[in-house]
Amino acid sequence: MQAPIFSLLDVERTYELRGRGWLNRTPRKLKALDGVRLELQRGDTLALVGESGSGKSTLIRLMLGLEPASDGRVLYGQRDLAQLDAEERKRFAREVAFIYQNARGSMNPRMRIADILAEPIRLHRLCEESAIADRVVALIERVGLPAGLLQRFPGELSGGQIRRVAIARALAAEPRVILADESVAGLDVSVQAQVLNLLRELCRESGITLVFITHDLGVASYLCDRIAVLYLGRIVEQGPTEAILNTPRHPYTRALLQAFPRFDMPLKASLSGEIPSPVDLPKGCRFAGRCPQAQSACRETDPVLTAHDAGRQVACLFPVASV
Amino acid sequence: MQDALKITLLSGASQWKRRFLQPLLRQHSALVGLAIIAVYVIAAVFAPWLATHDPAAQDLMASLQGPSAAHWLGTDSYGQDLYSRLLYGAQLALIIGFASVALGLVAGVAIGLAAGLMGGRTEWVLMRIVDGLLAFPELILAMAFMAVLGLGTENVVYALALSFVGPFARMTRGDVLQVKNQPYIEAARLMGVPTAAVIWRHVLPNVVSPILVQAGMRVSIAILLESGLSFLGIGVVPPTPDWGLMIAEGRAFITMAPWISGVPGVALAILLVALNLLGDGLRDAYDPNTRKDA
Amino acid sequence: MDAAVALTPEAADQAAGQAPLLEVRDFSLRRGKAVVLDGVSLALQPGETLGLIGESGAGKSTLAMALIGLLRAPEVQLEGSLRFRGTELTSLKEAEFRRLRGNKIGLIFQDATAALNPCFTVGEQIAEPLKRHLGLSKWDRRERAAALMQSVGIPEPRLRLDAYPHELSGGMQQRVMIAIALACNPELLLADEPTSALDVTIQAQIMELILDRVRELNSSAIFVLHDLALGAQVCDRIAVMYAGQIVEEGPSERVLAAPLHPYTRGLKSCVVELGSRTLVPIPGQVPPLDAMPAGCRFAPRCPKAQAVCGERRPLPETRDGRQVACWFID
Repeated sequence: MQAPIFSLLDVERTYELRGRGWLNRTPRKLKALDGVRLELQRGDTLALVGESGSGKSTLIRLMLGLEPASDGRVLYGQRDLAQLDAEERKRFAREVAFIYQNARGSMNPRMRIADILAEPIRLHRLCEESAIADRVVALIERVGLPAGLLQRFPGELSGGQIRRVAIARALAAEPRVILADESVAGLDVSVQAQVLNLLRELCRESGITLVFITHDLGVASYLCDRIAVLYLGRIVEQGPTEAILNTPRHPYTRALLQAFPRFDMPLKASLSGEIPSPVDLPKGCRFAGRCPQAQSACRETDPVLTAHDAGRQVACLFPVASV
Repeated sequence: MQDALKITLLSGASQWKRRFLQPLLRQHSALVGLAIIAVYVIAAVFAPWLATHDPAAQDLMASLQGPSAAHWLGTDSYGQDLYSRLLYGAQLALIIGFASVALGLVAGVAIGLAAGLMGGRTEWVLMRIVDGLLAFPELILAMAFMAVLGLGTENVVYALALSFVGPFARMTRGDVLQVKNQPYIEAARLMGVPTAAVIWRHVLPNVVSPILVQAGMRVSIAILLESGLSFLGIGVVPPTPDWGLMIAEGRAFITMAPWISGVPGVALAILLVALNLLGDGLRDAYDPNTRKDA
Repeated sequence: MDAAVALTPEAADQAAGQAPLLEVRDFSLRRGKAVVLDGVSLALQPGETLGLIGESGAGKSTLAMALIGLLRAPEVQLEGSLRFRGTELTSLKEAEFRRLRGNKIGLIFQDATAALNPCFTVGEQIAEPLKRHLGLSKWDRRERAAALMQSVGIPEPRLRLDAYPHELSGGMQQRVMIAIALACNPELLLADEPTSALDVTIQAQIMELILDRVRELNSSAIFVLHDLALGAQVCDRIAVMYAGQIVEEGPSERVLAAPLHPYTRGLKSCVVELGSRTLVPIPGQVPPLDAMPAGCRFAPRCPKAQAVCGERRPLPETRDGRQVACWFID
């Protein structure tokens, strides 16, 4: 067994909020992530699924080293992200690419697409200066765009095109890992299908490790072999995509699946209430308040993520029985 | 491949046209302003050839004359040729205007960049200094510095430049703070782009156009202030041909020889209007905040 | 209540029982030279829900805006007819439209945060149409607003009456929007992507809520949607739009289960379902409005296109209980 490429060891991220009143200045704690444990092997494709406020974006920022973990460790290979030296940091920047949710915003509006794509190549000296132009053309063609777009500015491209350019830029430095945040959200279905197919092809061809954040279980299942479901800063269930879709064990996963719009099933509001605030979490299971099958024990004991069948982990005291 | 590259180069040139030339060409009033300014610049550059007299040569016998064949725009109380003084005055006005703005811009942008990028205590100190500069109206500030530095053309430039540092610094800092939080800056950092390159390639190009537009507008303020200082007698020293000085001199003879003040006054007014037309046009064409088609 | 809305003639009101609530006939909308909507025809019976489905640029939001009089001459040029309860909407004056909007036609927008005024409490905003259209007293308005908030599932409505929009979550804001839209018991509810900014579990809650309320009031509803599967779940009828035209229209179970138009088929094969194995994107892009092809607008992207498709526009034909605009329906 190879060493994992990314490991998150009981990662926690808390933000301090100042007390509300003038007199009451006791800081309150917002737990965006609470005891997240995750391992990523080379070539894995993992989807982090959760609703807004589940902490999936915070998790990605921690994995990118953009924010420090309040507790626990984020390891890239064997090294703690917080302790990388300049040399290692540079390597990390090359090997781990990030695709922003706001693809257009992640590109300098005053630079041409050609320069945007050339920047990482030049930066990491991946080829001779004279060969850069050819490489940029190869990149843009690889994501299925005409080379004519290279002279355009980001503001002049359509939503689908700009996502493809973002993917091309992520590929430019020949990364080992790509992290992507909602990279197909807000696209029309036909364009979304194109971008999804492109991403899937790239992962299959080049064996890139992919971590894909999404709120859409359909997208997650199309793109990734593994799914981790987050709720209020914690992974409540993770396992192989097939297993999660067919036999969800956590009531929240099941509710997500039931709420997903389908042609062959009537609309079903599977959950009542909304995701509660991550400030001052209740004792016990954090899903208990909305869980249709919560019992009194759920309000007392906080369930931990425990292994179940075939590579599946569930954090629930009373997992849904397989049908 | 060679052909493809050639094509991209060509289209690069046409892109430049599309992005920079066409928006400006659409601003008709800006073009009028530009044309007028071009006339002034030509007059200033070719002043030695266009002038009919030495601008500082006095001829008391021919003082206070109206426009004539010998003196096209008349003479002042010392008998100096107004036409020639007007030409050399344009030279001085434009030099002082552009030089003071350029100096103020460089210093102000540097301060603004430093404050916006470093943040923390550095920012606090720098911005309090800028606040101090901004507390005084430009003319008062320039007058105070002229009093300290003494009279003279160079000192006028320094004093005006100093009064422009504040506005440029404040504006640059504001834009830098905005740009600093854009995702593309974080994206560049993530890719491992060194800090200096982030500033040079990603921050500066995105703050530069509003600054340049502002600079264009400041030139007219600089020329007006310079004339004001000279008019008040704390700017350029006579007999240097200067519009402010000329207006001040003519004031005593306004009833019997109105052209002495009138000629430089009208020249000044037209130049200021032209500069403002151009400045407004530049703003409408390039400033993202007012761009309508964006 | 009808007296308060002395807008439609009595006769038309009586006829409304049989006649469609809303009838769009050969409706076109031009913005300058661009034909944004081209010959759209639709009919909505009382109590029906209709989904307008298509990609961005298809004109579904434009149609919705035109229906509520937010797109009018001289900004755009209208042709054809829009009849609501027998009243021709295209010739209606702005003041008359204002009496319809928020009263007989309720509106729900995609972005509740933007649609709600941050300066007023949600109670005041729900009470606004009650004051304007029904002329209720201040006390009655407050009571009614609280009851409305209760009916859209906002917990502790009396406490929330005085809350400002930013104090509520996105889902709660959308519920407030629904309360405002339903305040005057509208006969038609127009919802433009009401849930696309929300999470799936909240989306299901909100959609269920809208459907329940619409059925309770026996109103009709038009949903503008981009999610086909959601359309199948919430709409009785579906109108698939492409580049300003309706290409297929009919009962949702037929249109979406066995689409006839190549575009509807293409769209359906792009939809990500749970456990989909392959997605087949539609090749190409929607042509720009000023360069629409002469014949069928979908022809350049259509796998079945032949010479005639590029030359003449296919008109909608009745086939298998629906309207399809295609030269080659098999």
